[in-house]
Amino acid sequence: MLIQIAWRNIWRNKTRSFVVISSIIIGLWAGVFMLAFSWGMYKNNIDDTVFKQLSHIQIHHPLFKEETDSKYSIPNTDQILQKLRLNKDIASVSSRIISSGMITSPTTASGVKIYGINPVEEEKQIGLNEHVRQGAYFKSAKQNEILIGEKLAKKLKIKLKSKVVLTFTNIENEIVSGAFRVGGLYRSKNISLDEVNVYVKQNYLKDLLELDNSNSNEIAILLKNEEQMEVVKAYSINLVPNGKVEDWKELSPELGMVIESFNLYTYIITGIILLALTFGIVNTMLMSVLERVRELGMLMAIGLNKRKIFIMIMLETLYLTLIGCPIGLLVGWLTNNFLGEHGINISMFSEGLASYGFSSVIYPALDYEKYVIVAVMCFFTAILAAIYPAYKALQLNPSEAIRKI
Amino acid sequence: MMAKTIIDAHNVSKVYNPKTVPVHAVQNVHVHIEEGEFVALVGPSGSGKSTLLNMMGGLDEPTIGSVIIDDVEITSLAENKLIDFRLHNIGFVFQSFNLIPVLTAKENVGFVLQLQNVPKEEREKRVMQLLKEVGLEDKINSKPGELSGGQQQRVAVARALASKPKIILADEPTANLDSKSAGNLLDIMAKLNKEEKITFLFSTHDMRVIKKARRVITLVDGKIDSDVQQIPS
Repeated sequence: MLIQIAWRNIWRNKTRSFVVISSIIIGLWAGVFMLAFSWGMYKNNIDDTVFKQLSHIQIHHPLFKEETDSKYSIPNTDQILQKLRLNKDIASVSSRIISSGMITSPTTASGVKIYGINPVEEEKQIGLNEHVRQGAYFKSAKQNEILIGEKLAKKLKIKLKSKVVLTFTNIENEIVSGAFRVGGLYRSKNISLDEVNVYVKQNYLKDLLELDNSNSNEIAILLKNEEQMEVVKAYSINLVPNGKVEDWKELSPELGMVIESFNLYTYIITGIILLALTFGIVNTMLMSVLERVRELGMLMAIGLNKRKIFIMIMLETLYLTLIGCPIGLLVGWLTNNFLGEHGINISMFSEGLASYGFSSVIYPALDYEKYVIVAVMCFFTAILAAIYPAYKALQLNPSEAIRKI
Repeated sequence: MMAKTIIDAHNVSKVYNPKTVPVHAVQNVHVHIEEGEFVALVGPSGSGKSTLLNMMGGLDEPTIGSVIIDDVEITSLAENKLIDFRLHNIGFVFQSFNLIPVLTAKENVGFVLQLQNVPKEEREKRVMQLLKEVGLEDKINSKPGELSGGQQQRVAVARALASKPKIILADEPTANLDSKSAGNLLDIMAKLNKEEKITFLFSTHDMRVIKKARRVITLVDGKIDSDVQQIPS
């Protein structure tokens, strides 16, 4: 009975109810979209980092990360790679030689991280070939070819085919230099890294470093399915018992922090939106209670006790909120699904964003878990917003309420 | 055989704003209403008739004094018990805002029965019978907004009767009605009073109601000025 009366009551003033419901729908849609947009940006950044830089799992010599010295290498890399390739959970693997050094152009110099890569293997891993803007991706037969970022080229004031010198220490801690010819200029989504990372052919760098041919500093593993990460990690540890096997969250703790902070962000954004909506709902319901003072007085007079009055007003508020919430979430979900497929081009701001590692096309994405969080918060908002108007109705004295004009 | 006292208002007073500007709405009033009476509480505006009626119906608490209805001292009942007492023993008809706007005539009358947890079948039978009694059997599915003022008051009377109360208190029930509707309503009430021995107590200054009453209590400045029996016309 109360359920029926409360339901009919909210439709007494259709315009007012529609305004409240619409505000809930718009608020939640905006909230869900904002969350999906932000997560889309972060996810893009995370995916880029995982798929274009780190890979899911990396294996190093235990001391390599502490000192970033090429002498700390993993032996028998070829055999390890062969075994890893046989694992059905692994999409691709590659080995890398890494050294820190200095790149010198005729005019200036800059500190760089030198990657000795196997170009064919890396096409499937970091996919640098897709980002080459000028020149080619290790197409010439020359061994001393180098691929550098456009930004670094600009800084060094060099062009394609220019000659540069890389200076670094070999495994005997002796300073060595090598002359390289710029074979290609690349521009990845992360401009800050473009300024630091340079890529050369692995064998040539190995020779300069005097590193054993079967050794490498890094083995990168890309998985078919991230859920198999722990299994593959265990398999890798078994394969390289003396190596240090780390997944991308361990390799880049800041990405883990991004995920953590996004969870917090979800609560904050949703909380702010719902708080604003709460005031709107409370205001409307208070108006509704105050203009029905005489009617509520009559209900009390004829025998509706205060508990039932409280429930009735609570139900009215809950109805308004609980109609708006699912619609808002649905509209948000549909928007996110559509834009998640087609993307939002924000190239207008992409230069600035790219320097932070963000892509210029954002694909909004949101886990179902986040929708559940928003829905649960919405439900609590409904209850919270319902309490005050219902409490206000309880303050009424039937005889005074009936007399009120 | 002497009729039983159904309402006993003993030395009741009501003071509004006792701490700031005290308004003595009702002062030391003693009233006994007997079972089956048809009483009009009359007096000019501000004489305290509505306040006295509200206190006698347990809607308002007297500042001093007690009200006993059917041997129960309602002034000492806790709030929820008082609401429950009203639900089972007293029917109310107000001047306006009598009905729940979102419910049909049938649902409005059945509302009180639902509060009393009367089974659906029995409830529907009684509702139909009551609406027939007040001559609204063809308006059962009309909402208050679709009914005239007189029809609304008749639904209110039907609702007041639904719980088979001992007393019906009516606060200026004819104030907003035209002569025909008022006459019609009073006839229904008089008939119910006579046939079902329900005690009726009205606050009014409508001469049409006063003429129908068998007892007229006049209040002036919160005090009983006169209390006379009469032959209704």
